[in-house]
Amino acid sequence: MSSRTPNLRIALIGCGQIADAHLQEIRKIDCAELVAVCDVHQDLADQAAARFGVPRADSDLSAMLAEAKPDVVHVTTPAHTHCELATRLLVSGVHVYVEKPLTVDFSEAESLLETVTRTGKSLCLGHDQLFDPIWLRCRELVDAGVIGEVSHVESVLGYPLSGQFGRQVTGNPDHWVRRLPGGLFQNTISHPLYRITEYMQDTQPRVDAHWYAAGTATFPTEMVAHLRGKTVTGSLFFSTRIQPQRISRVYGPKGGLEVDFDAQTIRVIRQSRLPGAFGKIEMPWRHWREGASNLRHNLWRFLKSDIHYFAGMRTLFELYYRSILDGSSPPIAYDEMLRVTRVMDTMFRHCRVRTGAKRLAALSGASPRLSDRKANSQSEVDDLDEVISETEQVS
Amino acid sequence: MSVLVTGATGFLGRRLVRLLREDGVDVCCLVRPSSDVEPLRRTVGNDLWNGVDVRAAELSNEEACREAMTGCSVVYHVAAGLGGSTSTLFLSSVVPTRTVMRAAADANLQRFVLVSSLGVYGTSTMRAGDLLDEQSPIDPYPHLRDPYTYSKVMQERAAREVSKETGLPLVIVRPGVIIGPGRGVLSARVGLQLGPLMVRMGGTQTLPYTYVDNCASAIRQAGLADGVEGEVFNLIDDDLPTAKGLLRMCKCAGEKVTSVWVPRQLIQPMAGTYDWYHRWSRGQLPGVLTPYRTASIWKPLRYTNQKAKDRLRWQPDVSFDEAFRRSLNGVEADHLGNRGRI
Repeated sequence: MSSRTPNLRIALIGCGQIADAHLQEIRKIDCAELVAVCDVHQDLADQAAARFGVPRADSDLSAMLAEAKPDVVHVTTPAHTHCELATRLLVSGVHVYVEKPLTVDFSEAESLLETVTRTGKSLCLGHDQLFDPIWLRCRELVDAGVIGEVSHVESVLGYPLSGQFGRQVTGNPDHWVRRLPGGLFQNTISHPLYRITEYMQDTQPRVDAHWYAAGTATFPTEMVAHLRGKTVTGSLFFSTRIQPQRISRVYGPKGGLEVDFDAQTIRVIRQSRLPGAFGKIEMPWRHWREGASNLRHNLWRFLKSDIHYFAGMRTLFELYYRSILDGSSPPIAYDEMLRVTRVMDTMFRHCRVRTGAKRLAALSGASPRLSDRKANSQSEVDDLDEVISETEQVS
Repeated sequence: MSVLVTGATGFLGRRLVRLLREDGVDVCCLVRPSSDVEPLRRTVGNDLWNGVDVRAAELSNEEACREAMTGCSVVYHVAAGLGGSTSTLFLSSVVPTRTVMRAAADANLQRFVLVSSLGVYGTSTMRAGDLLDEQSPIDPYPHLRDPYTYSKVMQERAAREVSKETGLPLVIVRPGVIIGPGRGVLSARVGLQLGPLMVRMGGTQTLPYTYVDNCASAIRQAGLADGVEGEVFNLIDDDLPTAKGLLRMCKCAGEKVTSVWVPRQLIQPMAGTYDWYHRWSRGQLPGVLTPYRTASIWKPLRYTNQKAKDRLRWQPDVSFDEAFRRSLNGVEADHLGNRGRI
């Protein structure tokens, strides 16, 4: 009897930029066999197939499903198409991996997960940074009690719009990202957010969020959000005005951990043990030793050819495929998907209403206070009240 | 006569618009809604601006393209992506080409001029010293090349398909590396730019360059010259320098260029080793240097622009020395300078 792992037939729909990462990582997985790619533009499907050695390229999803007969389909299309496509795929009898964000809002997410239950197929969401080697190392340190019980998580995402995707979004007022309920943030904020919600297990944390347009931008480009759960708080900072960066800091009573995803380093944030001026000598010494330790670690990983930008994605794919073969639960819990989507909804609603309240206040010549009843549009004020009462109920 | 120009606000497009206006041709410029039209207006000048009609629309909008083409007889399709991932380049070059061409076919235009690239040739199979002309084969494995070249090969293929389907007369121009004020003169044809260091690959290879004004004048002719439908033209200047010669010119001109030299005999073994490591490490370093790519880009070949000169009645009026001076000094061509009439 052969001990060979059975192959899963994998297909992908949506051959844009992130599809390259998916195809590159899927190819590295032993139990996966790429069988088809699909895109509404045949040219895009063809280029992906040619570059990654995929035998079939389609522009018709039905034909691809009928002919290629995949077990799993990765959905890497624009966010507003996720729900409809994933539903269609689940109903057609395949397992589905959806890139973040899951859907454009909570009601779509609920409906999609109902389809999962109804069809008995499984769904995975691209929260891949939870499986990045540096985040796994951070989790190990937290689990080992290095910082004590987690009390606060901070996430920073630097996302200059000078990059190729940013330029497309900026240059085209009709770009699909600009039409999402959460605009630019909806497409990008999942990563920093789920790094917070991993340690904040509340279903509906209290949210206070604000967005604004920086410089000459004609749409919101900066966001600051504060989240408050029962035992853990979180803060999220998204900016297009700082250098590209993905940094999280996890704090507890015994110290903190600073995780830099791009540098693949961890730094322990801790008070000096020595008094006064001696502490000013001890801390740089400790930073130097930490730097040396990170350097040794990364050098060793480089020699083992273990430094890959999408390593977390590959691990997540492997775990998901394994769960399908084993019939076990997928690596990202369905509750987690709903929770993150709900928090995003609340954040965006909060931001929209705040912007609206400010605008209304400006129109009526008053300060933008939440209780301002001079606003001309009662519905927007009602919406704001709803957000406030929603968050107060939870707190 | 009216023509439509896509990519009219770009480096090449705005010079083309000016040349067309100098010939008394009315120009409809199809630009992105977010494009800054001011550089185009400055290049064209107030005297000639009256015959310019600027329409803002995405090239993916076939209806808007068709509307803009009303009354035009020729389309100059200059717009194309220059950088980014393969899919981004396909979305900005290949896909819109089909849309614009279908619109042009519906509008019964007389000619569609596609601005492609000299990079589309399959030079990896040519021998050192071979002559590259319009008869040379197109790269049979473009997906093994860099994303830009791949997108240009597929853009041409798409254009030929639509031309065959619809009967829209097609003229393809393949400019070499376009230099000009603000762009500098050192390109990937010289070597790899690693931060401040230029790694010169070989050095005896002739650089297939064309100065932006020379290139624009040839493209203008591709839309206006008689009897060139279905033809392809390589656009390069005369008296081209070698990579080594160009670096020497830069240094003599006082440019601070730090360069190291990789002899031609070492390029392929080096690329092979890098490619092996890329595959062995499962992509720890990006697969940018492969034997196929290096054989395509740094091979010493001979180039000819005779067909363009003969059929388009074109002459690259700005000499390479002058082009070099203008490009290095960042001096915007004064549009009249020493360029003669064609």
